[in-house]
Amino acid sequence: MGHSGGQTGVARRQRWRGLFLSPPAIILAVFVAAALFAPFLTPYDPVTPFLAERLQPPSFLHWFGTDSLGMDVFTRVLYATRIDLSVAVASVLLGIIIGAPVGALAGYARGWLDDVLMRLTEIMQAFPQILFAMALFAAVGSSIWHLILILAFFNVPVYLRMVRSSALPLRESEFVLAARCAGHSTLSLVIKHILPNTLVPIFSQFSLSTAYAIQMVAGLSFIGLGVHIPEAEWGSMINLGAGYVIFGKWWPAFFPGMAAFVASYALHGLSRRWKEFLVT
Amino acid sequence: MRETLLRAAGYLLKRLGSVCLVLFGISSITFLVTRVLGNPVYLLVGHQQSPEIVNNLIQRMGLDRPLYQQYFRYMWSLLHGDLGISRYTFRPVLDDIALRLPATLELVLFAMVLVILLGIPLGILAAVRRGSWWDHAVQAVSQLGASVPNFWLGLLLIYFLFFLVPLFPPPLGRLDDPGQAPATVTGLLLLDSLWAATFHTFSSALRHLVLPGVTLAAGAVPATINITRDSLVQILASDFIRTPRAYGVEKRTVYFRYALKNALVPVTTVLAMTTGFLMSGTVLVETVYSWPGLGLYAVTAMDHFDYEPIIAVVLISALFYAAAYLVADVLHFIIDPRFRVR
Repeated sequence: MGHSGGQTGVARRQRWRGLFLSPPAIILAVFVAAALFAPFLTPYDPVTPFLAERLQPPSFLHWFGTDSLGMDVFTRVLYATRIDLSVAVASVLLGIIIGAPVGALAGYARGWLDDVLMRLTEIMQAFPQILFAMALFAAVGSSIWHLILILAFFNVPVYLRMVRSSALPLRESEFVLAARCAGHSTLSLVIKHILPNTLVPIFSQFSLSTAYAIQMVAGLSFIGLGVHIPEAEWGSMINLGAGYVIFGKWWPAFFPGMAAFVASYALHGLSRRWKEFLVT
Repeated sequence: MRETLLRAAGYLLKRLGSVCLVLFGISSITFLVTRVLGNPVYLLVGHQQSPEIVNNLIQRMGLDRPLYQQYFRYMWSLLHGDLGISRYTFRPVLDDIALRLPATLELVLFAMVLVILLGIPLGILAAVRRGSWWDHAVQAVSQLGASVPNFWLGLLLIYFLFFLVPLFPPPLGRLDDPGQAPATVTGLLLLDSLWAATFHTFSSALRHLVLPGVTLAAGAVPATINITRDSLVQILASDFIRTPRAYGVEKRTVYFRYALKNALVPVTTVLAMTTGFLMSGTVLVETVYSWPGLGLYAVTAMDHFDYEPIIAVVLISALFYAAAYLVADVLHFIIDPRFRVR
């Protein structure tokens, strides 16, 4: 935004480098690469059981061992990146697409619309989320599309409230008043002038929400919702391996959980870097 | 004095009203979800049944009536505590819940104590020693805690502290031997066994509670740390702290007399939010540890395509969440005089 104007080219380049070449950004790039190139990185198939090689510990042949159906855990962790990342990102984006414009409108228009929306989002955030997702899944059936919609539903109030609170002070600002004098309708004013000025906090919240969404996807699949065994997904893999942990067979549950952990840790780190990037 | 009491009563009524509004909203949304998005008949019998059976059920359940009539009937039975009948325990859902609620409450309360004992002191430490090694360490730990999938952490704890080093009992239920359960007074085994003075049972209950409690708390501690730290940092930078410090009032007096009290308001709000988070988290944690509470009840019901228990557990959890918010509001009223003027 405006405050980078006084910096020299070198300083600006260093700031961007600090963001994109930081450890969290590199880790996330590795995850994206794993998702894209999974078939080239492993000789095994992610969903074909091979019962002769059940529950083999990690070895040179199977880096992360094999699970209770004899599937290679490393292969499945790689392929799972596809579902976990795309479901998480898609649901957060959908939440922003719905929540941000409505929030901008509520912050600009205020009045009864604002009141109703604030009460509604309060109610939505009061829901115990995992339980509510269970009720929704019970009603509409369990599938990946429903999983995306439900997680998007949880993200809508977050962005609605966030954009609303940054839109509130803009209402009286000079450029908005000028635009109104120039004869803009409320709708075009909100979309063209209010919304673009509320985007900055959205970015740092975006990676936090994605981290949370990854944990929700894994958690819901762990209790059998959304993604089903044998499809490769971190949570359903943990579910498949959970029963063997008390017998000391840790690897089928350990590695997928580790992947989810590292991915969301990197996303948290990225959000922090982004905040620092904005204030320097 | 009388005026303050009147104002307190008015404030409480207003908060109570908004709690009722939230509960009304939640029960309405669950109605919409089950009756409009989904069809309860298919939830009960699946999609393969013949049309006669389905039509028969539709009539018996009153689903052929107009939606508003169904809605009134649903709300009416909710108000009378009728939550339906479970299809796999063959008992009223309300009875099932009464049986399992104490287990969940004990778990949530234990986790809450851990959250308060860990989150608030660490947040204070990070704020008071801001920018120091302590601050960075606490923040790193809280970022780790926020990124760990809870249920996976539970599995790790089971592997290390049950399988490798058997410090804790296997993750199956609340006691070594269900026969040693103390007579029910509160339903919380820790309290009941103390009441009955059976210390063997007490230690058994405690040992079963530690791992699930730690697992559940781990997810909620980071938020408590962050909010305690951020609000205290803001307060420590304000005039009413810097002025007495400049006049030479002792650090400890300033911190405990002025700073902490002001920081408690946002923290109580966070603890109320934490209640909702913990209630929701019990679903996964109870599944990992086979803890016989509401979360496991809902998951088992889901495996049997039984939706009424799930709805009931959603509503009960929302009730607890709303109650926690109410308590936080009352605490604000007591802690912060500014609330009394409004």
